[in-house]
Amino acid sequence: MIQLFHVTKYYDGCLALSDISLRIEKGECVLLTGPSGAGKTTLLKLIFGAEHPDEGQILVQNRNIARLRRSDIPYHRRTMGYVLQDFKLLPQRTVFENVALPLIIRGLSSFESRRKVTEALRAVGMEHKKSTIAFVLSAGEQQRACIARAIVNSPIILLADEPTGNLDPQLTTEIAALFKAINTRGTTVMMATHNRQVVEQLNGRILRLDCGHLLSDQGAYT
Amino acid sequence: MKRFWYFIREAYTSIHTHQASTLIGIVTTAFTLTSFGIFLLLYHNVHNILGRVQHNIQIIVYPKDNIEPGKLHDLQQAIKTEPAVDSLIFISKQDALTEFTHQFPDEVYLLEGLGESPFPASLVLTMAAKTPTTDMISNLVNRLQHNPDIERVRYNRDWIERLTLLSAYMELGALVVGGILALASITIIANTVQLAFYAREQEIEILRLIGATSLFISIPYLIEGAILGAAGGGVALGFLRGGFELFTHKIQGLSVFGGFSSVFEFFPLPLSLLLIGGGILMGCLGTLTTIYGSMRFRL
Repeated sequence: MIQLFHVTKYYDGCLALSDISLRIEKGECVLLTGPSGAGKTTLLKLIFGAEHPDEGQILVQNRNIARLRRSDIPYHRRTMGYVLQDFKLLPQRTVFENVALPLIIRGLSSFESRRKVTEALRAVGMEHKKSTIAFVLSAGEQQRACIARAIVNSPIILLADEPTGNLDPQLTTEIAALFKAINTRGTTVMMATHNRQVVEQLNGRILRLDCGHLLSDQGAYT
Repeated sequence: MKRFWYFIREAYTSIHTHQASTLIGIVTTAFTLTSFGIFLLLYHNVHNILGRVQHNIQIIVYPKDNIEPGKLHDLQQAIKTEPAVDSLIFISKQDALTEFTHQFPDEVYLLEGLGESPFPASLVLTMAAKTPTTDMISNLVNRLQHNPDIERVRYNRDWIERLTLLSAYMELGALVVGGILALASITIIANTVQLAFYAREQEIEILRLIGATSLFISIPYLIEGAILGAAGGGVALGFLRGGFELFTHKIQGLSVFGGFSSVFEFFPLPLSLLLIGGGILMGCLGTLTTIYGSMRFRL
């Protein structure tokens, strides 16, 4: 599903990732852990196509991301969902409009969009909030809406960068449970987190990074 | 279809949110197109007048006095085939005499005792409706002058050439002034759209995050630029029409120029649409400048 071969990345000459090689199979739940600046976000961005590796190759579903043309990147992104710590919702739009956005981009019909958005909102327990303006949602609700937007396209891979970073322990448990449920349905989940509670709850493969180096890889598929 | 409504709604939202900068963009475009339009209107009318004058040009050809009737017929046929010539009237020596006696009855005594008509026969040529250029007329006159059966060719050359030169200068002026003003307008529209871009930076980032192409992100802004340009073009057209009506009304009141008011005409529909099209083009170019600058280095 995802393969990295000796990937190295620098930011203005500073090392962000050093010689990372790994293989992630379909349906895995991978947790990237480590302190701030360890390279967790960079690794996710590389897989997402938001950054180019300076060295090495990245294969996502047998496509070499390092060689992807700029114009192909949006199509690569449509195959995955991305959840961020700071939600990234359009504040003046309703929950429904926010979640429907990836479907509009894909040019789906209104009927199909409505069906898929309703399904995604139901999966995250937000169906009753579909007409609410995103601006008035609580932090937990905003993150649920973000997750719904990330899964509305039925992505094969779901990337998440500290999705519980702004949430209290109760909400963290709920959001982690959502990711667990999504993973159980067969979606590959790759999450950067330094929240021990989330790591324990998701009980997945743990990749520990520090200063751009992969220190350990626990629980990999054999 | 869903995408189409999304684009329209986004463009409307952007215009609605940034009313002040949108207004500045429309006013600038209107100012540019009005200035350009004044030149264009002047050029259009000078060109029109030139066309009418050129159409009314009469080249008078005097065949040799002793030309045989057969050769005179051939000469007439040859002249009729010239593309710049619309019609040809043959005025015989006798016709010329009759016309003289009609026009100057008091001077008829001057011709007494001369026997046959002292006036030469002539061919009066009228130019084609599709305005021939001065070069075409000059070439025709040149060819006629070198014809051995022709004695002399007469036409008023100087002021037609001056009018043509004036028309060419106005064309150049319209291009230069229009170009400079269009550039200024494109820059201001680009800045207007840039403001919208800054204001919606987070939204653009979100769209990129969920797989929107640059084209998808750009279309609402292009629509916004086009609306802005079209509105500017429409306002400019309104100003020009109003100004033109006022001008012709004032001219009509002046006894000296009274007769000229019917000579001037406003832009025909295709030119009016072209002016609005110019506004749309400027709007789109302004937007594209911003989009190119903003998206060039983003992944």
